[in-house]
Amino acid sequence: MDFEDRIIAALNKSLGRKTEIKLESRLKEDLLCDSFDTLMIISALEDEFSIEIDEGNFSDIITVKDIVHKLRSAID
Amino acid sequence: MFCNDFYKRFYVDEQAAEKIGFNPYYIEVESGLDEWIRMEGRDIIDLASNNYLGLAADIRLKNAIITAVEKYGASLCGTPVSTGYIDLFKTLEKELSDFIGLEDTVILPSCYQANIGLFVSIARKNDLVIVDRFAHSSLIQGAKAVGCKIRPFLHNDMEYLERLLKRSHDYIQVFVVTESVFSTDGTIAPLREINELCRHYNALPIIDDSHGIGVLGNEGKGILDAQNIHDFNGIYTASLGKAFANSGGVICGKKEIIKYLRYYCPHLVYSTSVTPSVLAGIKAVLKIIRNDSGVLKNKLYLYKNILYDSLVEAGFDTVSSPAPINSIRTGSRENTIATAKKLYEKGILSTPFIEPSVPINEGRIRFIAGINLSETAIEQGSEIIKRINQT
Repeated sequence: MDFEDRIIAALNKSLGRKTEIKLESRLKEDLLCDSFDTLMIISALEDEFSIEIDEGNFSDIITVKDIVHKLRSAID
Repeated sequence: MFCNDFYKRFYVDEQAAEKIGFNPYYIEVESGLDEWIRMEGRDIIDLASNNYLGLAADIRLKNAIITAVEKYGASLCGTPVSTGYIDLFKTLEKELSDFIGLEDTVILPSCYQANIGLFVSIARKNDLVIVDRFAHSSLIQGAKAVGCKIRPFLHNDMEYLERLLKRSHDYIQVFVVTESVFSTDGTIAPLREINELCRHYNALPIIDDSHGIGVLGNEGKGILDAQNIHDFNGIYTASLGKAFANSGGVICGKKEIIKYLRYYCPHLVYSTSVTPSVLAGIKAVLKIIRNDSGVLKNKLYLYKNILYDSLVEAGFDTVSSPAPINSIRTGSRENTIATAKKLYEKGILSTPFIEPSVPINEGRIRFIAGINLSETAIEQGSEIIKRINQT
């Protein structure tokens, strides 16, 4: 599984939404994430990539693609 | 206008209620929780209150409260550390500890205060709070106030919880926080497994038994008794405003932590003590439950099952629950409010949940049939529900 797919799989696992999650999906508008969902996503990503994520760094995330960029730079 | 921008902050989104022509919140109630409740000049079947055991307007409770008011008056006009700690307070703490099966107890004005005050008093910034995705807001607000890390786990998912526990070794203290009965859907936490995981990973379990006390377990002793947990080293909280039909909340646990809370929990130390009438009311409920728990619970589940069958027959998307709670999935907030409106117009008061109480578009309507309702009221309610989608 490539990097993007792992992120989408983590989102699917944590949110359990019926909506298809794409890189362009917006967390609030398309995936209807509330603040607790965001914590669920962070938790799932920490689990998937064995890293610690500060939720403050997630405040400017709008789309799934933003998560990919943010995580890639954190891991690289 | 002075501070115009400040006052613009306070916008309440009532669009859905306006569109549907019904606001299900803050409808004026003109009676007590009797067999019927009176609202807007009509007698309504109350399937909304948490009056599980139907004791809120029980004559034995009323008499106990009247006697306490005659002896102690209306208020203690002081916090428990000063004039609020009457003999009734002390004996009730002991009785509740024995009933729940833990060493010691403190009584606060509400369980919301108890939950927030608990975390504010015991958690530190470098601690981790692992919390069920659907846990009550009060269990999260306290942890947020302290600023410790919060990580949710999928509802009742023990594998997910264990994964979080496995990588939690960098924190000074880890708390695992959940509820016994999740009030929206009536699901029940596997506390026995949670307790064992906590032991294994040296985490402290915190359980809110607000919808379990008085209902679950032998003699309504709650979740610890229901799941045969005799080695609970964690902290237990519960509301006394649901099956216990009074108000206030408790924190129970080991003697040393309760003693600490008596002196350092600001929500206890700086709040006016619960009133004598409430203390006497809780004491009276304990007596009733000890004597009649079996009969009360049988009726509670009988009523629950009658309503469940009606909801299924009406074609609602019902949630299966082992607790005496019926819940239906209603999707959007518009549909949730519209369904609550139809029920209300036909004579049933229900509890609609919309975001933020539930995730967006996962609206629910909950029905709790307290045993103060007569069989006639339950039959009528059942018939209304069966026909509700035909009109």
